[in-house]
Amino acid sequence: MKAIEFNEITKSFGDFYANSGITFSINKNDVHCILGENGAGKTTLMNILYGIHKPDSGKLLINGSEVHFNSPLDAISHKIGMVHQHFMLIEDFSVLENVILGNEISEFDVIDFKKSREIINALIKKYRLNLNIECKISDLNISQQQKVEILKLLYRNSDILIFDEPTSVLSPVEIHEFFKIVDEFKSEGKTVIFITHKLKEVMEISDKVTVLSRGKVTFEKRTKDEGLDLSELSRAITGKEETHSDPENIKNDTEGEVVLTMKDICLFKDKLPKLKDFEIRLSRGEIYGVCGVEGNGQNEIADLIMGFENNYSGELIRLTKKVSIIPEDRNKKGMIKEYSIGENFVLKFKRNRYVSDNQVRKISEDVSQNFDVRLSSVDSDLDSLSGGNQQKVIFARELTADNDIIILMHPTRGVDINASGFIHKKILEERNKMKAILLISSDLDELIKLSDRLGVIYNGKIVKEFDKSELNRNYAEGQFSEKNPKNKFDIYEKIGMYMIGLADEE
Amino acid sequence: MAWLMKSKLMLNFISVALSLFTTILIVVLLLLIIGKNPVEIFSLVLSEIFGSGYGIGQVLFKATPLIICGCGIAVCFHASLFNIGAEGQLNAGSFAIALSAYYFGFLPFPILIICCTLAGFIVSGIFGLIPALIKIKKDVSEVITTIMLNFIILALINYFLVEFFAVKATMRTEKINDDDFLFKLSDYIPFFQGSSVNASFFIALAISVIFYLLIYKTTFGYKLRAVGFNQTASKYIGINTGKILLLSFFIGAGITSLVGLNYIFGYKGYYELGFSNNLGFTAIAVSLLAKNNPIGIILSSLLFAILDYGGLSVNQLVPKEIMLLIQGIIILSLLSIDKAVKIYFERKGMA
Amino acid sequence: MDLISSILSITFLTQVFRMMTPYYFGANGANFSERGGVINISIEGFMNLSAFSFAMFGIISGNIFFSLLIAITINLIFSILFSWFTVKLKINQIIAGVGFNLFIAGLTKFLLMLIFGSSSNTHRFEGISDIDIFKKIPIIGGIVSDPLTLFCILLVFVSNFILYKTRFGLRLRSAGENPEAADTLGVRVRQYKFYGIMLSGILSALGGIWLASNQNSYSEGMIAGRGYIALAAMIIGKWKPVNIFFACLMFSAFEALEITLQISGTNIPTQLIQMLPYLITILVLIGFIGKTRPPAADGEAY
Repeated sequence: MKAIEFNEITKSFGDFYANSGITFSINKNDVHCILGENGAGKTTLMNILYGIHKPDSGKLLINGSEVHFNSPLDAISHKIGMVHQHFMLIEDFSVLENVILGNEISEFDVIDFKKSREIINALIKKYRLNLNIECKISDLNISQQQKVEILKLLYRNSDILIFDEPTSVLSPVEIHEFFKIVDEFKSEGKTVIFITHKLKEVMEISDKVTVLSRGKVTFEKRTKDEGLDLSELSRAITGKEETHSDPENIKNDTEGEVVLTMKDICLFKDKLPKLKDFEIRLSRGEIYGVCGVEGNGQNEIADLIMGFENNYSGELIRLTKKVSIIPEDRNKKGMIKEYSIGENFVLKFKRNRYVSDNQVRKISEDVSQNFDVRLSSVDSDLDSLSGGNQQKVIFARELTADNDIIILMHPTRGVDINASGFIHKKILEERNKMKAILLISSDLDELIKLSDRLGVIYNGKIVKEFDKSELNRNYAEGQFSEKNPKNKFDIYEKIGMYMIGLADEE
Repeated sequence: MAWLMKSKLMLNFISVALSLFTTILIVVLLLLIIGKNPVEIFSLVLSEIFGSGYGIGQVLFKATPLIICGCGIAVCFHASLFNIGAEGQLNAGSFAIALSAYYFGFLPFPILIICCTLAGFIVSGIFGLIPALIKIKKDVSEVITTIMLNFIILALINYFLVEFFAVKATMRTEKINDDDFLFKLSDYIPFFQGSSVNASFFIALAISVIFYLLIYKTTFGYKLRAVGFNQTASKYIGINTGKILLLSFFIGAGITSLVGLNYIFGYKGYYELGFSNNLGFTAIAVSLLAKNNPIGIILSSLLFAILDYGGLSVNQLVPKEIMLLIQGIIILSLLSIDKAVKIYFERKGMA
Repeated sequence: MDLISSILSITFLTQVFRMMTPYYFGANGANFSERGGVINISIEGFMNLSAFSFAMFGIISGNIFFSLLIAITINLIFSILFSWFTVKLKINQIIAGVGFNLFIAGLTKFLLMLIFGSSSNTHRFEGISDIDIFKKIPIIGGIVSDPLTLFCILLVFVSNFILYKTRFGLRLRSAGENPEAADTLGVRVRQYKFYGIMLSGILSALGGIWLASNQNSYSEGMIAGRGYIALAAMIIGKWKPVNIFFACLMFSAFEALEITLQISGTNIPTQLIQMLPYLITILVLIGFIGKTRPPAADGEAY
């Protein structure tokens, strides 16, 4: 019996196809995992299922009959519920108010709080959620907030539950708790859709797996029934990526001076610890990779080094003020998209002075040639460029500033293969120009390929450092022994264990 | 892209033209409803204004403060700051100008006017810094603080006037020396027939040129507009956004004070409570109509000045207040039509 | 001292409560709009409009009840227009507010001249009369005998109930706090914003009506910033109907004090008292006096 069938679903945003012809089905009472890189189209597909987006073409079937959702209201009425990656909670409301909103029990518009409390408290008891329904959301921690989201679905009696990366914000113990709840859902006959990046979780919890890549289904298999193993799954996700030739990574032998030292750094934000006893040393002429699940303190490190964050304790020594950053979110943080290339460069000028149009155009032309950015006109604003070209421009701008420390955050996310190869080459060039480079990423391939040292961050702390030789050996073995891909997986798995905090005793 | 740039300009042009057309349509209807002859009234306005040098001169005179204040507000708008406090700022600055012009009347004229300009600029600028500082330090929107500051400033001026500076039984300051006035255009160009337009009209034009160069042709201007487009990105690119916000509020508010030059040095010779008559709000409309563009500000100031002066000339037939109503209709139709046009073309662009 | 005894009198207290009426209507109205996430700085204009239309139709028709209905209806139409601007077209709320204030100022000035031939005020007319039997109630008789003031006091409880105990209130607040979240739960966010703005139009109408009625005429500039003081009271009252009520009482006490001082002829400068509401608001916003937080999505288009 099929709960959901996607039939040739296609959805585009402008020129970008988030989903192109996606076809697969989800069985009733399955825990179905959907995997894929960022930007592979998972969230878009789920938003279509939840009625937030309308597909350009294709059919969606729920319990065997075709549906056309215009809003989440339609999805809710088909007993579909979704927990978004960024929680959809109202901070200033109590748990109770959040749960009943949209489905209030009321008479003449007056809410029956007594009855609502009874119902919700019964649910809390049944699923052992351990929440106080009078608490404001802003007083709850992330895991409790997630429970509120789950409560919202239970209150609405949802049969199909969608979870978008539910575990990325949870600690191992909390993940364990969460899985117990999922098991309970399954025993009640509910269908669970589970989007994640974490392979081990997939193996543990799923009945079936679907892998999306660049808006298409690339892999599908039942986990237990068809004997899926971890290495097969990891190949399904990472295997096809190496289509461009890797740049040679040869490091200068000269030891660079240490330009950045952070020691015993502790940082709290909104009373939550973001960094604790954080330590790092960064020298000229090296690439230090920081690897970890997002939200473990990476953004805070960058903000500290940039000097945006001053309420920390510990020691932060920066030998230079010349720091560049390439932030993770191009549109929001990386560029002024209303400006042309040259105009974006003007923002880097230190002294206030007259800027002529010709000067601006000249810069645009130079960058377009040197960094291979194709333009329809020198005056084009960045908004009209593709993601890859935008990223190249940001790179060009920050590299031209000739700063000593360069922080790179997910530099190739959402960038096409050619552009990402180009960007990797440039990163290595900069390293060889004796720049100190901090590479923050969640793309293990990228990190292992480029890093001279790699630190794994977990809960605001570097829990493990790998040096070059360790990375190289494992990576080389993984590359050359096609017959035994297990080797490649070794280092991945090792790093992965540290990333999720399962090996932090060292 | 070039065509995009052109089309953006084109869109602006279309929406401004459409909303002016709509306004005229509404006004014609209105006049017909209240039983007046629109043709008669429109032709009277035009003949009064363009029939004589005096009319043209008065329009330029009335446009002067609008240009100045419009530029000041536009500086803030370019940094995405909503300066609703121009009314208070310009009063504070003008008050300072009038006082320094009177008390330093012994200085030679060129030095005097420079000192007064600086005094006005700094006083207004400081009142602009207050909301900016509160915004930066406490993350409080500048909208409410500037509105509140309007009333605080006017009450303070009222207090200082009554207690210390006012000429008895009036709400105005002492008059400046007779030979400290700016020259009137009609002194040199008889064409203007004794109209009040004076040298501060050229000051207004100079301000709009400086405004253009500052905002569009300097590193500072690029950074200021970048902060206006996207403050977070500006921060990551390495711009000191706090400094930019402070400076743009200081400069923007400072410019508004210069309307006092026209009134004090070019017209009455003193500061009078209520002289601005909501100029600080009308100038917001001017700046919006102009899309914060300096040439646009000059044009829309002229339009508003024509309405203002045109009202006087038709007062016999229809209350001159109709021109205030027309200003209101222009601004509302521009806001709605501008947005509607954008939505229409975006949909068309997607399809 | 004479001054102190006049401040401590029941007459003074009555005056404070009565003068609170326009502030509270404006502030409470603005609050309904802001709870839905729309900043309405044209409360000043809305009050001006209703004061004028109430006086105009009162004079023309001679029927107070009729002119009250008309004044409310006209404000309702304008608030629907305002929500069309801000919610449907998503025009910046501040700019739209400034535009409406300018437009209404022009409209009333024009009509005042056109209909009454005066640039300053209308003729006199009979405003809403007091409820005589209530006057006999000791102490508060002077307060509750004004029907609009009485309604205003009831409104404190009614607004509180609507905002916190009804489905409408819950959904309205969700639209102002996190429209995206509300949307995923099937709440029709824009519709609730519309309702919020309409309530602000109706309530501010009552504020303007009280002013015109109390003065028995409409005069140019009679609102004199009360719409903005109402916004200030809303902020100081932390967007809560009960707190807003006390903020309004504080401001009307300032106003009554100012009048008493002027009459008593002491040389305490009244301008500085006029300044207080605005100054206190800024101090509250900076965080010197308590903490305040607007609805999370206040002012954002959705």
